Amino acid sequence: MIELREVSKTVMSGSEPLTILHPMSLEIPHGRFVAIVGPSGSGKSTLLGLIAGLDAPSSGEVLIDGVDITRLDEDALARLRGEKIGFVFQFFHLIPSLTAYENVAVPMEIAGAADARTRAEMLLEEVSLTGRAHHYPSQLSGGEQQRVALARALANDPSIVLADEPTGNLDSANGRHIMELLRKVHGSRGTTVVLVTHDAELAAMADARLVLRDGRVVENTLEHTLGLRPIDRLGVVPGGVEGRQGHGEQPEGPLVLSSSKKEPTR
Amino acid sequence: MMFVLRMAVRETRSSWRRLLFFFICIAIGVAAIVALRSVIQSVRGVFGAEAKSLIAADVLIGTSRDWTAEARQTIERRLSDAGGAERTETIETPTMVRPADRSRPVAKMAELRAVQKAFPLYGRVDLQGGQPYTHALVEGHGALVRPELLTSIGVSVGDQIAIGQATFTIRGLVTKEPGRGMGEFSLGPRVIIDYDDLSSTGLLGFGSRARRMILVKMPEERVESLVLTLREDFKEEFINTRSYRSTEDQVGRDFDRAENYLSLVGLIIVILGGIAVSSVTRVFILQKIRSIAVLKCVGARSGQIIAVYVLQVMTLGLAGSLLGVGMAQGAIAAIPLALGSSTSILAQAHYGVTWSAAVQGVGIGVLVSLLFSVVPLLQVRFIKPSLLLRDEATRRRSDWTSIGVLVAVSLALVTLTAWQASSLKVGVVVCSGFAGLAVILHFAGRGLITLVAPLASSRSFPLRHAVLHLSRPGNQTRVILLAVGLGAFFIVGVRSLQASLLSEFSIQVAADAPDMFLLDIQRGQADGMRAFLGGRPHGAGEFQLIPVLRARVVGVSGRETTLEGVDEVRQKGASLGREFTITYRDHLEANERVVEGAFWSGPSPDAEVSIERVIAERSRIHVGDTMRFDILGRSISPRVTSIRDVEWREARNGGFVFVFRPGASTISWSDSRTSRSSTSTRCSRRFATSCRR
Repeated sequence: MIELREVSKTVMSGSEPLTILHPMSLEIPHGRFVAIVGPSGSGKSTLLGLIAGLDAPSSGEVLIDGVDITRLDEDALARLRGEKIGFVFQFFHLIPSLTAYENVAVPMEIAGAADARTRAEMLLEEVSLTGRAHHYPSQLSGGEQQRVALARALANDPSIVLADEPTGNLDSANGRHIMELLRKVHGSRGTTVVLVTHDAELAAMADARLVLRDGRVVENTLEHTLGLRPIDRLGVVPGGVEGRQGHGEQPEGPLVLSSSKKEPTR
Repeated sequence: MMFVLRMAVRETRSSWRRLLFFFICIAIGVAAIVALRSVIQSVRGVFGAEAKSLIAADVLIGTSRDWTAEARQTIERRLSDAGGAERTETIETPTMVRPADRSRPVAKMAELRAVQKAFPLYGRVDLQGGQPYTHALVEGHGALVRPELLTSIGVSVGDQIAIGQATFTIRGLVTKEPGRGMGEFSLGPRVIIDYDDLSSTGLLGFGSRARRMILVKMPEERVESLVLTLREDFKEEFINTRSYRSTEDQVGRDFDRAENYLSLVGLIIVILGGIAVSSVTRVFILQKIRSIAVLKCVGARSGQIIAVYVLQVMTLGLAGSLLGVGMAQGAIAAIPLALGSSTSILAQAHYGVTWSAAVQGVGIGVLVSLLFSVVPLLQVRFIKPSLLLRDEATRRRSDWTSIGVLVAVSLALVTLTAWQASSLKVGVVVCSGFAGLAVILHFAGRGLITLVAPLASSRSFPLRHAVLHLSRPGNQTRVILLAVGLGAFFIVGVRSLQASLLSEFSIQVAADAPDMFLLDIQRGQADGMRAFLGGRPHGAGEFQLIPVLRARVVGVSGRETTLEGVDEVRQKGASLGREFTITYRDHLEANERVVEGAFWSGPSPDAEVSIERVIAERSRIHVGDTMRFDILGRSISPRVTSIRDVEWREARNGGFVFVFRPGASTISWSDSRTSRSSTSTRCSRRFATSCRR
């Protein structure tokens, strides 16, 4: 459960205060797929940063599973992110000095997981990159890098995945591929997914939509869609991806992500 | 922990090329420390092992006077009390040696050593060609000489040489002898003759510079007590007693100083490397900002990330240090090659990297790597994971932790420097100097950037961007200026010190400087020498006979200072305790100036003395005070009538602390003279030429 209570963000622009997010409150129940949409500069990424504890609000409280993260110090925040939140960024942000396998294994090693190797290999298999495990990011295509990033985001089996324009740096086929994987994750694992995008088509794949403009929520469909499971809306079923059908372009790799294989162990 | 280890390995694997400079900086510094320390320790080891052969005895009792009957009785009694000991006597004196053939007018100053049959008690005399040394070689006016004497005066083994009034036959060439240490000041090559033959040379008259020694070999456990007893017995006399340990201690202190100085030089090289390490680490962290942000995003704490890079730095520091040890080993291995077939004691050392030097070098390498990288690594704490969402600059920041670490690092550097120099004062001074210089260079860097700033509007594209680069965020201008500035300062400092030391030890060869000094001219030889030098065939042009005698201060009766007896002079007399070379004359030399009192104008039967200013100040002696001197057993009590400033660097005729007024009847002044001749005449050149032939 993600809960924001009267959260705002103001920064100094020169000597003038500039409000990026006006006070807002919202709740994202566990297991929802929410798209945050809005034009550039509307405060989408700032809101995502506040939810992740990457940024501190100027006022208000941010609660993750009942814990007010605004009161946590840097180390506690890092620990919380490692345990509960997975990130997918527009620019992938893989560590260039590590192989694909190592990038996926790192969050588990930080958390002290004993089976990091097995799980990293399993996650890479889920995103169909087994054969590329020992390649460095510079040796992978954009789509492959984003799939590694997604595998990394799932490494510690987080309850929340935050995705900031995950398709913004990909061609449309690979973009759809990543979206389908996200939907699959959401569907098969029941993970809360918060997707930031300015693409209305992608936003439509979510089961709820939060529209921002000039730092204010101008539309919130979360209340209307409560109780509606994404699997019902998007037609994603374990072991297959119907959502891919109907698109002309082919992504770089097969979409295999499945919930039937395993319940990740820690 | 596994994360830290794994990440350190992965980061090292991927970035070792970028950190190669880091690695090399440490390696060079450590190589300097290890090589310098190891060489000193190797040489010191030889001296430790050869301490007894350095003085050729366990105990050495020496005097520059004749042995008195009382002194001999005391020595006999003490040696007997000590349970008996083996002993032998030697006499050493500088003198001139020439071929016995008078038609060959060449002469060479040599250091004569007259030895008895039991010599040497320790070590051995090595002769050229493997000829075994026996005392029979010198008996009956035989002589053993250093090979260089042969070429100097054009003689060979089997020829005869004249020493004083006697003639000796060269029976062998000495390549090594005990009791002649490395680097000792030497007036000329060694000549060894029989003790019993020395009196026939006539060199032991009053005023002779001969030094008489009794060498004693005795059980180890009684050495120190005998030395202490004899020192007490002879505290009022001009007899010195020392053991091989005194020599060892003195040499040890000299080596300690050399080792500490050279280690400090090595440490400064490592510190310069450390500055480069700091710069490399800073740039490295700048390049890793996104990776660090990612790690924080996926759950890593700042402490874990810093631990990764600290481990990486220490691994590189260790590897660089080990490479440095290898480089030192390579450099040291070349030393025996450089020494070639030298017979010096240096050639006897077994050169190699010592364990203690290697451990110290590696320790310092790792420590300096850590100290110089920890401050830039602390910036990891300020890297925000939010920069993955939007581009934002990570500015350098300081907090109390950074300041605390900086203080701890500074203290650690002072400790490290003090340890290497074996002196807290030196450690503080060196580090303060570095800090002061760093501040100056920092401001110089800012000044430079300000100074060139107008060029940023230049029409030249390369110039414009070059200037702009100097002040762009993340620029290395100040760090580079600091490293280069400190490096230049260090090199200039070491070179200046070297030049200063060399200039202290070098003799200024001015146009009017003498090109030859003839020492130890005896009373009966003065007129002959005057005639020889003034005579047409060997005319030396300008020359000057300077009377010199050796004397000791044995008492002072003055306004501020009163000293009674040799022991009190030694204990409380500041610099008065040593033996002085004195002279008399009725004029001041060009390098002298009276600063108090008045210098006499002619001879007088009243004893008067003029004192050099520094020693007068140190000993608190004033005009009007009375001093008592022992001049080779004769006593004189002159009144101090003037104090002179002496410019020692310009002392062409030898500087004298004590100058006496001529005419005092108490002693004879004409027993020992020094002749100085100038190069400025044709005759003197001929004389010099004949000497070389």
